[in-house]
Amino acid sequence: MKRWIAIGAALTLGLAACTDPSASTTSGDTVATWADPTAELDGVKLTIWAAQNSNTVPKKVVEGFQQATGATVEIVTVPDPYEQSVQTKVATGDKPDLAFWQPTASMLTAINAKTNLQPLGEAPWLPSMDPALRDITGLLDGTRYAALVTSPAVEGVYYNKEVFAANGITATPKSFDEMIKLARDLKAKGVTPFHEMGADRWATQWWVQVQLADAAKAGLWDRINTGQDKFTSPAVVDTIKRYDALIKEGLFNSDIKTAKFEDQGTALLDGKAAMVVQVNSFFGQLQAKADTATLDRKIGFFPISPSGNVGTFIPDQSNALVAFKTGDAKRESAARQLLAYWMGPGYSDFVTDRNTVSLQTAVASPAGVPKALQDVHASLPTSVGSMQALAVANPDLYINLADMIAGTMTPDQVATATQDQFVQLAKAAGYLK
Amino acid sequence: MTTAVETLAPARALPSARPGTIRRRTHPLWFLLPAYGLLLVFFFLPTVFNFVYAFTDWSGFKAEINPVGVENFTQLTSDGTLFRSLRITVVYAVLVAIFQNVFGFGLAVLLERDTTVNRIARTFFLIPVLMSALAVGYIFQALLKSSGLLADTTWTIVVVALIHAWKWMGLSMLIYLAGLKSIPLEVTEAAHIDGASRWRTFWRIRVPLLAPAVTFNVATALLGSMNGFDIVQATTGGGPARTTEILNIFIYRTFGQGLFAQATTMSLVLFLLVALMAFPVVYVLRKREEVL
Repeated sequence: MKRWIAIGAALTLGLAACTDPSASTTSGDTVATWADPTAELDGVKLTIWAAQNSNTVPKKVVEGFQQATGATVEIVTVPDPYEQSVQTKVATGDKPDLAFWQPTASMLTAINAKTNLQPLGEAPWLPSMDPALRDITGLLDGTRYAALVTSPAVEGVYYNKEVFAANGITATPKSFDEMIKLARDLKAKGVTPFHEMGADRWATQWWVQVQLADAAKAGLWDRINTGQDKFTSPAVVDTIKRYDALIKEGLFNSDIKTAKFEDQGTALLDGKAAMVVQVNSFFGQLQAKADTATLDRKIGFFPISPSGNVGTFIPDQSNALVAFKTGDAKRESAARQLLAYWMGPGYSDFVTDRNTVSLQTAVASPAGVPKALQDVHASLPTSVGSMQALAVANPDLYINLADMIAGTMTPDQVATATQDQFVQLAKAAGYLK
Repeated sequence: MTTAVETLAPARALPSARPGTIRRRTHPLWFLLPAYGLLLVFFFLPTVFNFVYAFTDWSGFKAEINPVGVENFTQLTSDGTLFRSLRITVVYAVLVAIFQNVFGFGLAVLLERDTTVNRIARTFFLIPVLMSALAVGYIFQALLKSSGLLADTTWTIVVVALIHAWKWMGLSMLIYLAGLKSIPLEVTEAAHIDGASRWRTFWRIRVPLLAPAVTFNVATALLGSMNGFDIVQATTGGGPARTTEILNIFIYRTFGQGLFAQATTMSLVLFLLVALMAFPVVYVLRKREEVL
């Protein structure tokens, strides 16, 4: 009898605990106050979560902040896949003070920004940001949740200047169709025009997204978000079919099914392929393989879209930080102060240390930023948002496209599977009722 | 083992016991509570929650959890991905069960005699069992990457099953060895005197006597690999083109997207499938033992 009571008690206790543990936050959404960036913070300990490819980004800033304020800041590397690991931790109630996070609406939704994150409106650094980039991302339903610290990634074409020159190409193409024509000319001369990584999969979606740039400008993602348009609409399916047709035509590397991210960088640097449609992290790989002088000589970048040279921007996790509501007012304020220091007194040191483009009008970019990265940054003001930036949910389009490359899915099946998953995710997030 | 307990039991029973009751209370019953407590918290409650959350809309996107009835199930069944993953999981488990037992059995027969060389060889075959499954996966991924074996949409599942079987064959070998060693010498000697050849003795006397070892090995290999994740994740990550995406990898991906309730529903489906397969498999294998 006693035992049954015990079991019953434990069971009710367990069932009573059947609510989301991450829901128990205390602080409200009142407008935050911003302390002086260098105000004293003795004895305050802050934690920053970072991924394997972003854990060295805050090093210089953290050193400066610790010296200026007396706070202790610990950078914790969360294992890859970073986004999944963080979501899982946050869902079980484990939160840092700050974390690197993709500042797009879909990813802010995915981490339940309204409940878990501190709103960053009225942030002291906003007036000094480049006006063209200030509101490009980091907002969810009009509230700012993320601080953009580096130039967001852009989907576009990285090309080998030497291969172009050797084949008599003097100007970069002015539209997607022109690029394809150029690719056919290159193929006729025995050069592999494009390189794609079917095995590592994730870059496959750039080909569809750059083709959608003009439609995105005309509000495609808003229509998809509200269910007026779908991945299965001709506007999207046609871009998938076009990509499939270009692959079948033989404009890509012959090992497209098994090629990996690593192979892509090697192929472009060695001139084995003329062009790669990629994002900034691809250039990061090139920087690991060659020095700035070589890269400036060999590698160029141009944005592309059907109508012209419009880039598609896709901010990623290493570009921005979010501050969590931890329930501890002192630490929450200190976390905001660290962001204010980062984007304020510490910003100049930061961009110099990272050798990256500055986002602030008053802070000059360091001299050593490679030319291609400067071109990427220059394309930002006219670029449009990617699926990740503008859609309310982020389906695995790239996995379906990789399956298409492997031959197990048709373009129509890719569209249907992507749409189904989009609806599932959007519904879970409270959209598309 | 069981016979020993049975013979001891009557001796211990107190003479004053009423017929039909067993009174062996050498320790107070509440001594069991810590063990039951752990069982409850770490095994029973998670299983209960697995059932409860499968009928809710729990996700990473919002704080509330609302019941949604069987919506998760209808959605999963309307989408072909679940059945594809289930099919891949069953194929994988069956392949692993076959390979692991064939290898383990072969090794046990080969290394049966207690020579020094055999002892050393047994130790070597047991090393993969002790290795981290992820390490095994990554090593094979590195070895096979350039061979194209992990890029074939038809045969990669077989390759991954072979790797899984390779890792665990040492354990099967050990259990088969124990089985072979426990066969009484008199039985084989009698067969020999009756004029049975070694070949015939092996297949007609010793192999049937291994039935309990077969039961254990087949059941653990089959049901264990139904819950497989680490080796496949490390070797192929579910690729190429999701042809090795066993259910646990699918669950992992779904959970990672913040769809916690859907992931829970899938793991409930897997739990039910394993339970549904376990009962007949174990029943059939135990039936084989009855002839002994």
